[in-house]
Amino acid sequence: MTTLKSSNFRLVGERVPRHDAWAKAKGEQLYSADWALPGMLHGKVLRSKYPAAILRAIDTSRAKALPGVRAVLTAADVPHNRDVTKFGQMRDVGAGFEGLYKVLAEVGGKIRFKGEAIALVAADSEELAERACALIEVDYEPQEGVFDPREAILDNAYLVSSEDASNVIMRTRVEQGDLEQAWEKCHLIVENDYYTSPHEHAYLETESGSGWPDENGGITLRVGTQVLEHYRTIAKVLGLPHTKLRNMSVPMGGGFGGKEDITVETYLALLVKATGKPVKMVWSREESIEAHSKRHPMYLHYKTGVDRDGFILAQEVSIVMDGGGHTYLTPWVQMYATINGSGCYNIANLRCESVSAFTNNTFSSANRGFGVPQVNFCYERQMDCIARRLGISPYELRRKNLLRNGDPLATGFVPLGHVALDQLLQQTWDKLNQTPKPERLPDGRKVGRGIACGMMGYGRLCFLHDISRIGIRIELDGSVTLRAGVPDLGGGQSSVLAQIVAEELGLGIEDVRPLIMDTHMTPLCGTTTATRQLYMSGNACLAAVQPLKERLARKAAAIIRDNQWPQNPATGYIWRPDIEHILGHLVFADKKIYYGPDPGKNVDFVAVVAHVSNEGGELFSEGQFNAPFTEVPDLNNIKGQILPDMTYTCHGVEVAVDEATGDYQVLRIVAAIDCGKAVNRNSVEGQLEGGTAYNLGWLREDLAWEQGITRANSFATYLIPTAADVPDIETIIVESRGGLGPYGAKGVGEPSDNSIAPAIVNAIADATGLEFNTPLIKPETLYLALQNERN
Amino acid sequence: MGSRILLSDFAYLAPTTLAEALQILAEKQAVKILAGGTDLLLRMKLGTISHVDYVMDIKHIKELNYACLCDEKQCGSTANGAFCIGPTATLNQIAKNGDLSRLFPAQREAILAMAATSVRNRGTMAGNICNASPVADSAIPAICYGAALTLQSRRGKRIVALEDFFRGPGETELEKDEMLVNIALPVPPADSGAAFIKKSRVKPDIAKISLGVFIERDGTLIKRCRIAMGSVAPLPLYVQKISEGLAGLEMNEQLIAKTAQMVKAALKPISDLRTNQEYRRAISSVLVEEGLRLAWRNAGGELK
Repeated sequence: MTTLKSSNFRLVGERVPRHDAWAKAKGEQLYSADWALPGMLHGKVLRSKYPAAILRAIDTSRAKALPGVRAVLTAADVPHNRDVTKFGQMRDVGAGFEGLYKVLAEVGGKIRFKGEAIALVAADSEELAERACALIEVDYEPQEGVFDPREAILDNAYLVSSEDASNVIMRTRVEQGDLEQAWEKCHLIVENDYYTSPHEHAYLETESGSGWPDENGGITLRVGTQVLEHYRTIAKVLGLPHTKLRNMSVPMGGGFGGKEDITVETYLALLVKATGKPVKMVWSREESIEAHSKRHPMYLHYKTGVDRDGFILAQEVSIVMDGGGHTYLTPWVQMYATINGSGCYNIANLRCESVSAFTNNTFSSANRGFGVPQVNFCYERQMDCIARRLGISPYELRRKNLLRNGDPLATGFVPLGHVALDQLLQQTWDKLNQTPKPERLPDGRKVGRGIACGMMGYGRLCFLHDISRIGIRIELDGSVTLRAGVPDLGGGQSSVLAQIVAEELGLGIEDVRPLIMDTHMTPLCGTTTATRQLYMSGNACLAAVQPLKERLARKAAAIIRDNQWPQNPATGYIWRPDIEHILGHLVFADKKIYYGPDPGKNVDFVAVVAHVSNEGGELFSEGQFNAPFTEVPDLNNIKGQILPDMTYTCHGVEVAVDEATGDYQVLRIVAAIDCGKAVNRNSVEGQLEGGTAYNLGWLREDLAWEQGITRANSFATYLIPTAADVPDIETIIVESRGGLGPYGAKGVGEPSDNSIAPAIVNAIADATGLEFNTPLIKPETLYLALQNERN
Repeated sequence: MGSRILLSDFAYLAPTTLAEALQILAEKQAVKILAGGTDLLLRMKLGTISHVDYVMDIKHIKELNYACLCDEKQCGSTANGAFCIGPTATLNQIAKNGDLSRLFPAQREAILAMAATSVRNRGTMAGNICNASPVADSAIPAICYGAALTLQSRRGKRIVALEDFFRGPGETELEKDEMLVNIALPVPPADSGAAFIKKSRVKPDIAKISLGVFIERDGTLIKRCRIAMGSVAPLPLYVQKISEGLAGLEMNEQLIAKTAQMVKAALKPISDLRTNQEYRRAISSVLVEEGLRLAWRNAGGELK
């Protein structure tokens, strides 16, 4: 097949307004909770009021007797209440990654966290459904519970689940070189304990959606989810074939990893099946905060050794992760944390060991960064501690140790894509220090500057054998329908695909209409997780568009050749190039197909489409892209390619600290990323700014967990930064073209948030000399530390 | 679990005259007045409010919606007149008033530090005061400016100083049949100035601690001073004795430091989700120092 190259980009790299921007700006795009159907019932979940208890009995008779209540379901009513699998995964990878899931808590078994679902209700109104929940009598036998993973892994610990003999979810390890020998050569060894706090996703819309029965025994759901492929698990729970559970997502509301696990879907499907009617379910904010996943709280120990010049000789990391009440994605998150534990540095001797455990806290699972923000925080704090002890600049120490092209990762694998860390560090450092740092502001506050680098994969774990598919159909008026099962909850994942198709076919972004997020009507693109959609579905787009482009080009070349070369009326053509020559020089642009060397020779895109259609040529195409496939690694010694490639970041920060009150303000943020190729510059900047603001909040947001109870369970008490709390973010976008995505792009969604938290804490250390070992620094914490230092 | 639903049934009443409203208060039991609703509806949703049979919406009473300068003696104004605020005047309506901004900048600042625009477009200062939260931002500078409240029932009217209006968290001087019908901020004399400072977790948040100061200056002497603090006591606190003790004293850094320490020693704050009592006590002195300096400068005074 002839490969047709775009010589210059027309759309790619531009600031392209997303196809759905206006609908969202004008409020025309409905949220999940805005959807309504005639005769719709309202669903509610009855949740445990204890974090740890034995469920003795449930009596639903009074709830069922309430007029207007259409269904009250408990575990006994769920066809397949238990499932041993990972929700949403495509490939069964077996032991080490398994968790037992129960849709609803079973009588006789243990309640594992406060907020665990016990019963479902569907009623004529939301109010009635709430009343019915209150009428369900639950007999609990409260248990002591365990709330600290370090205690949970001890032999005599309280057992969180009724089925497992231990609270340990998984142990894993990565190792290189000879640590013991390396310690002896170290000039300086810095050792610290760290704690990282849980973090709430705080998306605009809580878990919501609706479901309805169709005419032929199927069920359709429309919910905000990052993973359409959950339809397989939902079907299994209900005992339906995969063909009869159709799942659609909603292009609104946000996810950030919190809608990666199943939320309302199974409950809705069960209630639809039980009542035969449409059902809607909307979680309250308090319910959402208490009952969906959190970023894993971690206890980490770091030991780092350097030589006289600051080269890192050895690093040892141990991690204890709080998985909360259920497994969910803990093993995957743990793997990310473990392989990234030693950081974005070239370290010959390293060991990173981790263990995850059940506790009776709200369960932990995916949260933007997926286990990486925690270790990124620690290894970048270590670097600043070492720099201070050695008396060299944090910039210099990093520059000496950063990963460069050709260096292996902790697993021994050499990244396939470009490593731009030194460039990012240099540009961030220069921009941050373009003016000399003042000691104090005119108002007396102390100024500090800090920097941190970061690294995170894009694309899923390679042993999951990740796939994406895209469908394209060219319409007879020359517009294009793009069909993609890409969950786009606001990240712009679908618009960027439209941009790629428009670029390739020489059309405008407005000519390509994405129809997205429908398990049975759009080709499955896989999960919107792991910063994978541009990489995976972008490449699938190229795979889908290529045969169409080839077909149209061939026709265009023939038309140009036959009609646009000068003819001598008597003798025919003076000279014509052969068709392959023209094919090799065609350019798709401005809704035309041009002969590059002589743009006067061209044909309208729509005319070519008409010709192909008349001749019975196919104007549709589906393309598939497969990520690199590997086998499941040995969990005791992880080696080789675990992720397709890495994205690198750097953050620089200036803070002002009010020593009288402990209050600190982030004055400046420089955020840098190598995105490979910015397909939509607005989106890259948006992700970089959004990611930065997201983890800026990690420093102040406190769920106030107490013995499994979330005291800060609303936005009145759990406070995320407002626009007024976030300074202008100065972005640096490096385009190395060294990624595995389309046009050399890399994923940016999650990596963009990882290195901000350590940069801020490093800046606080620079201002005050205080070395904090946790990202959660409130003015109270800082004030107390300053007081202690004075005394 | 929070509900999206108001948990109890109630009747909705919407009188269009003050007389009608006062009659409802006189005749019916368990009536809650809705001015902006930004606190009331939230508390009803969360079930943290006692039994409500009637919600009386006063937004339809046209005569209660005003925020302007007035010189009528009956609203408790002083010789200079007063800025009067009706019970349904929204926070933004008040803050956008040019006379208020000119004469009571600390009041404006406190109001703009409250919540987000959408809440300020709905919420009222009267509601903020009658809610009687120890955190009430709008009450702090108002106490300092010497605000007087007019409480009215079918039995008549009475005027109560704002600092005497609060009895405890959620508890006020209001009798069952009474409502707050006017807030009067006396126009300050020349050579006076005020300040408002608030510490919160994020910008539009409820205060961890707040402070208001009003100073009337006589050359280098303090003629009159009023200090009030939020979130340090069961009610918005007028720091009366210490404030009064400053009258006639020479303003200087030593006095500022001494006053701050006295205030700190006198406070007995509590710990809650927003912050802890140690921190409240510790930074109270920082706030008092800053507030005294700022108010003094705003009064045209100089500090050596």
